[in-house]
Amino acid sequence: MQIMTFQIETDIAIVGAGPAGLSAAIAATNAGASVVVLDEYAEPGGQFYKQLPAEFAVSDRARLGDDYTKGDALLGAVRKAGMTVWNETLVWGSFDPGVLSVVRGGKAGTIKARKIIVASGAYERAIAFPGWDLPGVMTPGGAQTLVKNQQQLPGKRIVLAGSGPFLLPVAKTLLNAGANIAAIFEATRPREWARHALRLWGHWDRVAEALQYRRTLAEAKLAIQFGRIVVRAEGKDSVERAVVMNCDAAGHPIAGSEHVEPCDTLCVGYGFIPQVQLTRLLGCEHRYDALRGGWIPRHGPDMRTTVEGVFVAGEVAGIGGAYAALAEGWLAGLNAASELGRSVRSSAVTSAYRDRSMRRRFGDIVNSAFAVKPGVFDVITDDTIVCRCEEVTAGEIRAAASAWSAQVGAIKGVTRCGMGYCQARICGHLLAELTARATGSTVEDVGGMSVRPPLKPVRVGDLADLAHKAGS
Amino acid sequence: MNTASEITPGPPVTFKVDGEPLEARSGQTVAAAMLAAGRRVLRHTRHQSKPRGLFCAMGVCFDCVMIIDGEAGVRACMTKVRDGMQVVSPRSFEPYECKS
Repeated sequence: MQIMTFQIETDIAIVGAGPAGLSAAIAATNAGASVVVLDEYAEPGGQFYKQLPAEFAVSDRARLGDDYTKGDALLGAVRKAGMTVWNETLVWGSFDPGVLSVVRGGKAGTIKARKIIVASGAYERAIAFPGWDLPGVMTPGGAQTLVKNQQQLPGKRIVLAGSGPFLLPVAKTLLNAGANIAAIFEATRPREWARHALRLWGHWDRVAEALQYRRTLAEAKLAIQFGRIVVRAEGKDSVERAVVMNCDAAGHPIAGSEHVEPCDTLCVGYGFIPQVQLTRLLGCEHRYDALRGGWIPRHGPDMRTTVEGVFVAGEVAGIGGAYAALAEGWLAGLNAASELGRSVRSSAVTSAYRDRSMRRRFGDIVNSAFAVKPGVFDVITDDTIVCRCEEVTAGEIRAAASAWSAQVGAIKGVTRCGMGYCQARICGHLLAELTARATGSTVEDVGGMSVRPPLKPVRVGDLADLAHKAGS
Repeated sequence: MNTASEITPGPPVTFKVDGEPLEARSGQTVAAAMLAAGRRVLRHTRHQSKPRGLFCAMGVCFDCVMIIDGEAGVRACMTKVRDGMQVVSPRSFEPYECKS
């Protein structure tokens, strides 16, 4: 029997090849450190700089449009700096300090790194409603990925809903691809963000981007319908219509305001949640930061976590957008290299700190303007599926939470909510919200979800080689 | 699609879903190829046998898991089609047949 395992050693292992991870990789490589970047996707770039599959041919890259080319400078710098980038590589565990367990192309192995930078990004905040498990209901980012990566429209009549500025680039990508967007529903109202407007002073590149989205929507004769939320999706084998209602300032649906919007694709998202499974597994301390998306690893302005040698950068350190991620990745890369004794110019570090603060300030303005309204959880009826993997309903969670009055870990054990394939990435925040409400507690006090390896499912056969090797 | 003149998918491939042949282009994911063929239901759930389709489309939610070339629990959104690939759509709680 041929044993297929590998052990690699490197100065710095970076998990995630999005804006933060690649930026960190360039900074650290240029400072002279050896770097290995690990990423689960087939192409580097993460979600923000999502690339086309390598199999697709492009005749004229210059005419591809900024959805694709905005990542060219970064990806070009990655190639020029010449670090190792491993795609289709899953980091699934860590059993010794500084050692990551990975699976790549059916082979299991370990990467021993003197420093680890976790740049695992975020995923979308999906809030349940009756019918959200019907085919055709998806996340806005999912629809955008289908178009950007696969050149595939998600459907023939699309409704975008939820809350947050991310709905705008999604709409733009879909419209540019020729999609028919029937309506856009945004839970907030412009007057609610007016008080934040003055704080945008100085963030002119971001303001210009917002105006550009406004133009794109105007050209498509699409007006965002503010103060409306999806309360239900209906259809037989897939979604046929979305039912929306007006909501008050706290997000509670207003009785008698039902409106039916026919569609075959319903994309609903309420911003993003930091992907902290790996930082939890590495033993980093976490704190609850509602403004920045939920549980985040505690970290200093230098991006060091509470675990020696472990840094974070980008969305995993709190939702702040791609430009904050670029700045933080750069800072983490410089600081990690500097800790390894590589010479890093202090002026470069100073300007990285400044850049990071500026981008984080902008991220926080956006986060406050589009904070999730508590009333949007009102639409979750008792028979609504909350855990999509294990098919656990809100009623089961509410009953368990009322009976046990416990933290999410216990309710997870009682109901199986969060124990499926996705490991609570989709339902974890819903479980916390429902548990907090049923027990009269807060989302922070009902605790975060514990994490165990494998972080995502891996084949037993791949690990068997590892065990065989260890035993031999 | 307005970028169609500039982007050409890879060479044609044929794969099978529940024994039915589907045409696709290499570089496409199983989920996108099925969507292009008008198939939105990727599986039925284990307990309630409810239809499920593509949800996050980026490997997070595992709602698109199918049985691909004999292996259960494989994400259709993260798996590119290959010529001759055999895809099976999971249905309720019947045991998955896995090749050794």
